[in-house]
Amino acid sequence: MQLSMRRAAVGIALVSTLALAVAGCGSTTSAAKSGPVALQETGSTLLYPLFNIWVPTYTKSHKGVTITTAGTGSGTGITDAGNGTVQIGASDAYLAPGAPSGLLNIPLAISAQQIMYNVPGFNSTHLQLSGPVLAGIYTGKITNWDDPAIAAINPGKTLPNLKIVPIHRTDGSGDTFLFTQYLSFSNPTTWGSSSGPQYATSITWPPVQGSVSATGNGGMVGALAQNPGGVAYIGISYLNQATQKGLGYAAVQNKAGNFVLPTQANITAAAQGKVSQTPKNEAISLIYSSGAQAYPIINYEYAIVNDQQSSTQVASEVRTFLDWAISSSGGNQQTFLSQVHFLPLPAAVVQLSQNQISEIK
Amino acid sequence: MTWRYIKDRLMLILASALGLILVIPIVGMIWLVVSRALPALNFQLFTQVTVGTGGGLANAIVGTFYIVGLGLLIAAPLGIAAGVFLGEIAPTSRFSAMVRFTTDVLAGVPSIVIGYFGYVTMVLGLGWGFSTLAGAIALALIGIPYVVRSTEIALSKVPRGMREASMALGANLTTTVWRVSLRSAAPGVLTGVLLALSLAIGETAPLLYTAGWSSYMPSFALTHSPIGYLTYVVWTFINEPFASANALAYAAGFLLLVFIVLVNVIARSLIKRATVHS
Amino acid sequence: MIATPGRENFAERVRKGATGGRAGGALDALQSLFHRRVGDILLKVITGAIAGGALAAMLAILIFLLRDSWPSILYNGWHFVTTLTWNIGSLYSRTLSHHNGATAASGAAFGIVPFIVGTMLSSLIAVILAIPLAVALALLLVEYLPARIGDSLSFVVEMLAGVPSVVLGLWGIAVLIPWIGHDFGPFLSHWLGWIPFFKGPIGSGQGLLASGLILTVMITPIIAASTRDVLRQTPRETKDGALALGLTRWEVIRGVSLPWASSGIFGAVVLGLGRALGETMAVLMVSGSAANYLPQNIYSPIGTMAATIVSQLDSAMTDPTGMAVHALAEVALVLFLISVVVNVPARLLLSAAARRGGSEAQ
Repeated sequence: MQLSMRRAAVGIALVSTLALAVAGCGSTTSAAKSGPVALQETGSTLLYPLFNIWVPTYTKSHKGVTITTAGTGSGTGITDAGNGTVQIGASDAYLAPGAPSGLLNIPLAISAQQIMYNVPGFNSTHLQLSGPVLAGIYTGKITNWDDPAIAAINPGKTLPNLKIVPIHRTDGSGDTFLFTQYLSFSNPTTWGSSSGPQYATSITWPPVQGSVSATGNGGMVGALAQNPGGVAYIGISYLNQATQKGLGYAAVQNKAGNFVLPTQANITAAAQGKVSQTPKNEAISLIYSSGAQAYPIINYEYAIVNDQQSSTQVASEVRTFLDWAISSSGGNQQTFLSQVHFLPLPAAVVQLSQNQISEIK
Repeated sequence: MTWRYIKDRLMLILASALGLILVIPIVGMIWLVVSRALPALNFQLFTQVTVGTGGGLANAIVGTFYIVGLGLLIAAPLGIAAGVFLGEIAPTSRFSAMVRFTTDVLAGVPSIVIGYFGYVTMVLGLGWGFSTLAGAIALALIGIPYVVRSTEIALSKVPRGMREASMALGANLTTTVWRVSLRSAAPGVLTGVLLALSLAIGETAPLLYTAGWSSYMPSFALTHSPIGYLTYVVWTFINEPFASANALAYAAGFLLLVFIVLVNVIARSLIKRATVHS
Repeated sequence: MIATPGRENFAERVRKGATGGRAGGALDALQSLFHRRVGDILLKVITGAIAGGALAAMLAILIFLLRDSWPSILYNGWHFVTTLTWNIGSLYSRTLSHHNGATAASGAAFGIVPFIVGTMLSSLIAVILAIPLAVALALLLVEYLPARIGDSLSFVVEMLAGVPSVVLGLWGIAVLIPWIGHDFGPFLSHWLGWIPFFKGPIGSGQGLLASGLILTVMITPIIAASTRDVLRQTPRETKDGALALGLTRWEVIRGVSLPWASSGIFGAVVLGLGRALGETMAVLMVSGSAANYLPQNIYSPIGTMAATIVSQLDSAMTDPTGMAVHALAEVALVLFLISVVVNVPARLLLSAAARRGGSEAQ
């Protein structure tokens, strides 16, 4: 009696396993034909909060598509879009010259990056920091907050004798790209020289005792909060979370020599000079632009997309979504962008982006 | 009260004190996870999928069971077969000694190395992309050594007389293995499978680059479809400066602990039953 | 006496099996096929092949890691394990670096000494702290506590060995790091600061000490469980005899159990060491992921080989020459080789201890 029960159980298990496997094979093919198209987005943690605001709204009105989002760093966004593991890669950095051909970088919005710090007593004032001082901190030449170089650009403030903890990203990151590009452009003979660290989504950080690294913008906020004396570069979409944790952000020296905050007006001022120079493939740095009030660390937020998608249906869903994202009546509405302190794309750039989107097949 | 006696007592106290030192972090960890997870535990955790850094964990819970279940479906038959070979068919051969040794060393290979291997061979090499099957096979590679070993040990405890009796009654080797040895060793074999299950539930590193992550309910597609799992939520969402994300991380950690305790308790009761019988 | 899952008579069951037994059912048909000698040969071949699969899997891992890291081995040579800087090169530069027939991004150079040192030191801390804890725990379970309580506690210890490392990492982030940063670190630095490696600065608490402590919590249950198994093999009669002669429990432990079990305990410790060397997630969550410099003191941020594979893989993949990924494959290869080197003697010692226990018991 018991034996046959057991046998039956084994049989059921086998049959259900087979059924599962068959169902598995079935759904791979059927999903591509009838069910909703599943798009995957991964990459930039700076864009991640915006995608998390966009996607629920978008999929509510577009029933035929599901979109998974993940904040994994721009490096992963570029790689995964390149090798086809995702349809949309998100990146704060444009593609490198050696990137696989067929990849497009399509601006979705204008973003900025703030330099944040955790110096107890000074987090609600805005300390002033310059490219040379930041390069000094990240190369280990400036190790204390009471260093004369910092005091010289912060008149009237007596900073504490507190060890500086430079914090940088572990993952391949568009924010690292932006920050190191700022350091390169503002220190052309040291950081930016051919023997210096230069810029990339991940670079070789000069060895600084006590420096810490973190994953994602979220991790940077956490690490900065944990490390009194810390400095960190953090994407502007995390500004609210970081200031809620009591962290301060700096007025950063621009090309004209002024110390400016990442306000909407200053970001707009920085964008103005560069927008007209945007080339057809839209790979352009907006860092360190001229203009008295121009905030020096701004950028296009890119969708990295392969122009050859796995099927025409997928391609069409990707195009529809991206067109919606850059439209001023869609994803580029103030209601979305203001939540993450982004600025909408200027009309001329929208046109360029639309041209690129139409290449996705 | 001689010095020898006092020394004996002192050593007992010292050993107990050292034992207690380990209790502090463990109790602290359980308290932390439970206390932070309780406010986040609600019904929608089990019914909703993850949305951005909030929502529920339905996708990760189902995904965990799916990957782990599939991994076990691969690991159990292979592990038991290899265990039968080592324990019943050729226990003393040179080949078996080599296999035994290799499985032991395989058990010691860092799980991230297995994950990297899976990434190179399956995700990229076979072009499966992040997928359930790649994750399941990586977990199976990690679990198989445990199944092999416990199967072999369980078989070695089956009295030799039973096998001889079976053979004497005219049964051949296959029947003896199937009807006598494995049947008697079943609780031990199952314990090994459950041990592999409990390990697999808690793994993260080998899944990051094989299973990927998805915030949607898993489709049954075996390849070309990433899948969510609980350990990913713990590792990623604790890093986010959003309260909703941290709450999910703790809730996921809590569920992992609950699942692992359950599996261990089941395994324990199996062992108990087996020892009562014998 | 005999584990009998079914209620049927044993001989009856075997007879049924031998003669084909009950009719019907696919499994029965399958079985009656197996009843021929062919079945036995098939069984041997199939299970043998599957068992050989373990060898094949090991070999495959080694071959794939070697194949994948080959360009990096060519490019970096011995510098890989002798230099400090992990530099994937300038990805936005148009020039490339060539060396020894391999191509990498401009200026790329890969050295993993800080990761090796981070791995070794954090594991060393863990092993040093875990040995007394684990041995004490095992002695309590086997020698001191009544069997019933010892058994239940053993179960708890085994379960602790299965706590997911990310969950332990949660505790590391929320409790351990702030505690080291604010309390334990300053305390150590104050009282033990005269020992070179213990003097501050302490930093946030992320780093070598946090990694070592979290690894201690991870491997103590593992070492304790294996040590318990070894101690259980100690010949009962010798111990009972010694107790009957009036020796105290501690004297028996020192005189009989520990010497008898020492090589087995050593094996258990090395097994724990292997686990610590390869642990990824918990360390990644508390280590501070330092790169390119060696720890200055016990509080310094570190990076380990396993954690680096996870944290660097995605940025490595942005290298269009692929060299950064090859270099990570070489990290995995080095880690794999270290884990084999550590596990082989551990397993030999443990199985020797088990064999000794088996032969003495008979």
